Amino acid sequence: MADIRLANVSKRFGAVTVLENVSMEIESGEFIVFLGPSGCGKSTLLRMIAGLEAVDGGQIHIGDQRVDHLPPSQRGVAMVFQNYALYPHMTVTQNMSFGLRNIGMPAQEIAQRVADAARILEIEQLMDRRPAQLSGGQRQRVAIGRAIVREPKAFLLDEPLSNLDAGLRVRTRVELAHLHQRLRTTMIFVTHDQIEAMTLADRIVVMNNRKVEQIGTPMDVYSRPASRFVAAFVGSPSMNFLPVAGITDVGGRARVELAGAAAIQTGIPTRELPAGNGLTFGVRPEAVRVAIEGKGMLEGTTDIVERLGDRTLAHVRLADGTVLVAEDAGKSTLQAGMPVSLTVDGTATHLFDVNEAAYHAAA
Amino acid sequence: MSADAIPSSQAMTAEPSRRDRSLDLVGIVLSIVTLVAALASFFPIYWAIITSIKPDGEVISGSNTLWPNRITFDSYIHIWNNTNIAIWYVNSMVTSLIITAAVIVSSAGCAYALSQLDFPGRRLIYMLILACFMVPMQALIVNHFVLMAQFKLLNTWAGIILPQLIVPVVIIVYKQFFDSVPKEFREAAMMDAAGHFKILFRVYLPMNWGVTAALAIITFIGAWNAFLWPFLAATGEATMTVPVGITQVKDAYGIVYGKLMASAVVAGLPVAIVYLIFQRRVTQAIMLSAGVKG
Repeated sequence: MADIRLANVSKRFGAVTVLENVSMEIESGEFIVFLGPSGCGKSTLLRMIAGLEAVDGGQIHIGDQRVDHLPPSQRGVAMVFQNYALYPHMTVTQNMSFGLRNIGMPAQEIAQRVADAARILEIEQLMDRRPAQLSGGQRQRVAIGRAIVREPKAFLLDEPLSNLDAGLRVRTRVELAHLHQRLRTTMIFVTHDQIEAMTLADRIVVMNNRKVEQIGTPMDVYSRPASRFVAAFVGSPSMNFLPVAGITDVGGRARVELAGAAAIQTGIPTRELPAGNGLTFGVRPEAVRVAIEGKGMLEGTTDIVERLGDRTLAHVRLADGTVLVAEDAGKSTLQAGMPVSLTVDGTATHLFDVNEAAYHAAA
Repeated sequence: MSADAIPSSQAMTAEPSRRDRSLDLVGIVLSIVTLVAALASFFPIYWAIITSIKPDGEVISGSNTLWPNRITFDSYIHIWNNTNIAIWYVNSMVTSLIITAAVIVSSAGCAYALSQLDFPGRRLIYMLILACFMVPMQALIVNHFVLMAQFKLLNTWAGIILPQLIVPVVIIVYKQFFDSVPKEFREAAMMDAAGHFKILFRVYLPMNWGVTAALAIITFIGAWNAFLWPFLAATGEATMTVPVGITQVKDAYGIVYGKLMASAVVAGLPVAIVYLIFQRRVTQAIMLSAGVKG
């Protein structure tokens, strides 16, 4: 296990810059998730740590060693690929031992490591099979097993769950969390699935458009997003955004006036806000609740009702035409077309300026 | 609904539609044409075999019977006792096997580099290899001969082998195969501390031995059947290959057809055996290279 440090790492493909001055420190034993939309550079960053992509600028350290000039096999990391990349002509045992044989490890030690990994992953009965004879989930385990036997300083996992069906994906996610608890080895996991990120990560690195938007714990990223992009990308359904008509100061906290004359008292310190217009109000659906008619802060008409069992999501059209997603109880009696009144939890609101920087209620 | 469907399907089975009948007719005609073509192709081989087992007198009598009046293996005994066919066989076998092995190894390496490695001039080299198709072997014969003579390699195995090592089609087929392999396999092997040679010989080639087997078979058959270059490079009987050696089967009265056909049958035997054993692979190889040759 080792710390991983990235200092001003940049990557270009020809004239296109895909990563620009990315810096971060990953602590030993951490489960880090790189989260972002397709094309944001998260897989490229992982591949640069692995040594599969050259670093065009900056440095990468693993432990005390600078590794950005070393070949992949000398970095002490193991990678699980999205399509697993199991050698189709080799058995599971051969797949798992291939790397160890290449570094000249004694056969007895190889056998021991492979047996240990097989026991941990419960694949002992599959060892003589070839990848074509395995299910998707089994292949995934073998790919992880191939990484485990190397006893790496860090596991690099490039969207390893994306090829699994929904049910298996959830089970494997839990198994990965167990595996991390058991091994306590640094894991870097790339995904565009925010649920995987939220459930697995010690810390999430949210990436967008060549750079890191935010690094934080899942709850930090969710409840105190650093930018409008993070606020919109993390959370399902996405955060509601409404244009701000004006701000008034009430006891040092911002009172947000929305179009349509509604006003919401927030916990956001007024002195932190930039001067001028162009602010956007943000609130997550669970902070917008359906209220008794006429008792809410906002009034509107229900457009669509989504019943999720434990809760109900109501898409409410406000007077100015803006649509807001609000939450109601699972047994809600709301119907599309019904007038509805909404309350907003002011302590869970956010403001975003024209540069998309976020302002939150005082902690 | 199902009750309706059953009689309907029975009716279809019992009484083929007009379209089905016309398809049957086309099928029969095509089968007959194929059979005639197959017989026409096989006839020269058959003629060579029966000529080789006819007595000399019957061969030159002009009777042209489809079956010998008397079967004899005198021609085979004659070529075994009076020619160097055993030596020609060894020469053919050694040169063909070395050519096959060398072509496969060098072409696979070349194709791997062109497909997987990024180096200056990669595209140019590939273009030059493609351009090799435009230059027939015959156009290079004089150059090859002069070179081999200067290297003092005429009448040696090396002299026969070296000019036959350039087989662009093998490189191109391999390159197409390597291009189709997902890059993650190479990257996984790199993470597993494998170098390029190990990636090529332990990961890429074993992924589909069929490609290598097919290319090896067509290379072997090509090398075994090669006539023009070995004919020029080997002037002494000690280094002749079988196809070249056959030209030496004659006596004081000129060409002796029975013996000539016997040597031709013996010469073609290994290729026929290879073909019969690996028929499917040969077909695959022809299809692989057909895409390249157009």
